[in-house]
Amino acid sequence: MPALLEITGLRTEFRLKSGVLKAVRGVDLTVEPGETLALVGESGCGKSITAASVLRLVPPPGRIVAGSIRFKGEDLLALSEERMREIRGNRIAMVFQDPMTSLNPVFTVGFQVAEGLRIHRGLSAQGAEREAVELLTQVGIPAATDRVKDYPHQLSGGMRQRVMIAMALACGPELVIADEPTTALDVTIQAQILELLDRLMAEKQMGLILITHNLGIVAERAHRTAIMYAGEIVESAATAELFANPLHPYTKGLLASLPEFGTPGEKLATFAGGVPDLRGDLAGCPFRERCPIGDDACSRETIQMREVAPGHLVRCRKVS
Amino acid sequence: MTPLLTAENLVKQYPVRGGMFAEKRILTAVAGIDLELYPGETLGLAGESGCGKSTVARLLTGLTPPTSGSIKYEGRELARMSKAELAQYRKEVQMVFQDPFSSLNPRMRVAEILGEPLEIHRIGDAAGRRDKVAELLRRVGLSPEHMMRFPHEFSGGQRQRIGIARALAVSPRLIIADEPVSALDLSIQAQIINLLQDVKKDLGLSFLFITHDLSVLRHLSDRVAIMYLGRIVETGSRDQVLNRPLHPYTEALLSAIPSLDPKKRTRHVIAKGELPSPVAPPSGCPFHPRCPYAQPVCSEKRPELLEKVPGQRAACHFSEEIFLKEAK
Ligand SMILES: Nc1ncnc2c1ncn2[C@@H]1O[C@H](COP(=O)(O)OP(=O)(O)OP(=O)(O)O)[C@@H](O)[C@H]1O
Ligand SMILES: Nc1ncnc2c1ncn2[C@@H]1O[C@H](COP(=O)(O)OP(=O)(O)O)[C@@H](O)[C@H]1O
Ligand code: SF4
Ligand code: SF4
Ligand SMILES: [Mg+2]
Ligand SMILES: [Mg+2]
Repeated sequence: MPALLEITGLRTEFRLKSGVLKAVRGVDLTVEPGETLALVGESGCGKSITAASVLRLVPPPGRIVAGSIRFKGEDLLALSEERMREIRGNRIAMVFQDPMTSLNPVFTVGFQVAEGLRIHRGLSAQGAEREAVELLTQVGIPAATDRVKDYPHQLSGGMRQRVMIAMALACGPELVIADEPTTALDVTIQAQILELLDRLMAEKQMGLILITHNLGIVAERAHRTAIMYAGEIVESAATAELFANPLHPYTKGLLASLPEFGTPGEKLATFAGGVPDLRGDLAGCPFRERCPIGDDACSRETIQMREVAPGHLVRCRKVS
Repeated sequence: MTPLLTAENLVKQYPVRGGMFAEKRILTAVAGIDLELYPGETLGLAGESGCGKSTVARLLTGLTPPTSGSIKYEGRELARMSKAELAQYRKEVQMVFQDPFSSLNPRMRVAEILGEPLEIHRIGDAAGRRDKVAELLRRVGLSPEHMMRFPHEFSGGQRQRIGIARALAVSPRLIIADEPVSALDLSIQAQIINLLQDVKKDLGLSFLFITHDLSVLRHLSDRVAIMYLGRIVETGSRDQVLNRPLHPYTEALLSAIPSLDPKKRTRHVIAKGELPSPVAPPSGCPFHPRCPYAQPVCSEKRPELLEKVPGQRAACHFSEEIFLKEAK
């Protein structure tokens, strides 16, 4: 059986005046039904553009230039825009970091949740409204019958994120992509939202791509984890394996730098510098400048992803 | 030891308008807090968004006048300081902000950004100031060659280094840092945390460190204060508060942090619902609508912030019953 989602060799670029920015540089990922895959990395490493590519919503002047994205075996990149619209929001849904930018300020939240139901499931206005109340209740909005009449600005950040999740789930999608869904929220609200996502994913056997830079969330919630750096996946494994046995120097450094693993009052481990400029070609390993164990060959060779243990892939020439 | 800075019963209220036709109401951002900050110590202040942390910071720097209550610096009341004393206060108490993008003037070169506070406080002559700026840049891990650049030519982490250098320019004794690493990337956060730690050790500064990230709080603080809805609900040493909290809110905050360590991953004590509006705070204990341990008395009587064990205070009617029973 084909995977729920299989991305191979995805390349997405922006043609800017200052040069070609290669935001996604050959990404391979798979998600199975009921599985949560975490996509982790620092800002600008290409997480959101990978997600946008799956939905074919890359903003211009961005363009997918290579690769394939198969959803249950069907190549999304080969579909007409009309077929793609049937999939978007219906079979593959998206939850964004900032609900304010994806909710429409001039419509009530009830109307917005119901809209998808009318378009994709052909429900009547009343049927859709009833279903919207039901969905908002499911995602933990108290007194949903009243709340459907509220406008987005009348809700707190946590409530808006619940509305976004209700909208994403409205049509019973098979895959949900959540791009930093709790980054703007407090830890107590974050815990509530993640608990909710977990429960819904398990109940409905949906696949979830969880994009985040919070490694604690990853450790607790994801079945598998892919670490992204400068447009590439540099390491991927089952989450428990990745945290117990990180192999790529970047993954190791990232984990070592967390205050949670430091001793209070002592120095944290750091690596120098910042992420490389993604404009133009990056020869060799993009982590070379910051890598504590890199050598000249790392700057010359193209580094391939290799399976070093069952299901554990690493993009580093020095890991055996 | 006498405290460097003391706040007593500090209150800050703002008039706000509800809806279009609603009458004016009072929002209580800070509802009467007491704080003491000792020389050389780092006090960490944490709590959910909107609980009043930044308002406390602005009150303490003198940027905003309190509605009532007093702030004393070395025993002198801020509200009664002469102009000269106030200028000295503004020099000795410096602020570092969360957003390294908007807190630096985009039209000023680094040399001017760092030179300006020196000029304002009349420190050194032109050549002396130039040397001082170079020294400051080295101090925060940048190069003196960066002097003639503009803020947009730096990364987020580098900009935060400039923000820290600006605070250090006038040799402060206390730095109030409001979420200084929250906007930074993971691998950059650790660099800035280390820099703050170095600065504190080398210069013997006091810090008020505001953050909502409890692992950062644990790493940097000597003492910790947890805020909820404009009040301090728990305070004590870092280890006391973070290892054995005596307030249900602190417990909920701690257990909501996703943990990397599978052994620490006990089931979350989830605080129900959300932070109530500071315009209409709940009766009695402000945490009672969300508290898993709430009893009838909790909605009637507000608990005082009282010492429960030496050095650790909590504002909860049932700290002893909930947290201290089995210890006995
Ligand atoms: N100038 C103002 N006018 C009216 N209300 C204000 C003003 N400044 C702050 N508030 C309100 O006071 C409360 C406390 O705000 P404050 O900015 O201190 O919170 P905070 O703890 O720093 O939150 P965050 O973690 O989001 O930075 C909030 O309800 C806020 O909306
Ligand atoms: N609309 C755009 N125009 C030009 N470059 C973009 C655009 N969106 C993203 N990029 C660039 O693509 C790269 C990856 O961005 P993104 O996927 O948003 O990162 P992440 O989500 O991991 O923080 C970055 O270098 C970013 O600057
Ligand atoms: S390939 Fe070389 S530079 Fe890249 S991570 Fe491995 S050792 Fe470091
Ligand atoms: S006083 Fe009551 S409601 Fe408040 S924290 Fe304690 S137990 Fe909970
Ligand atoms: Mg993003
Ligand atoms: Mg604040």
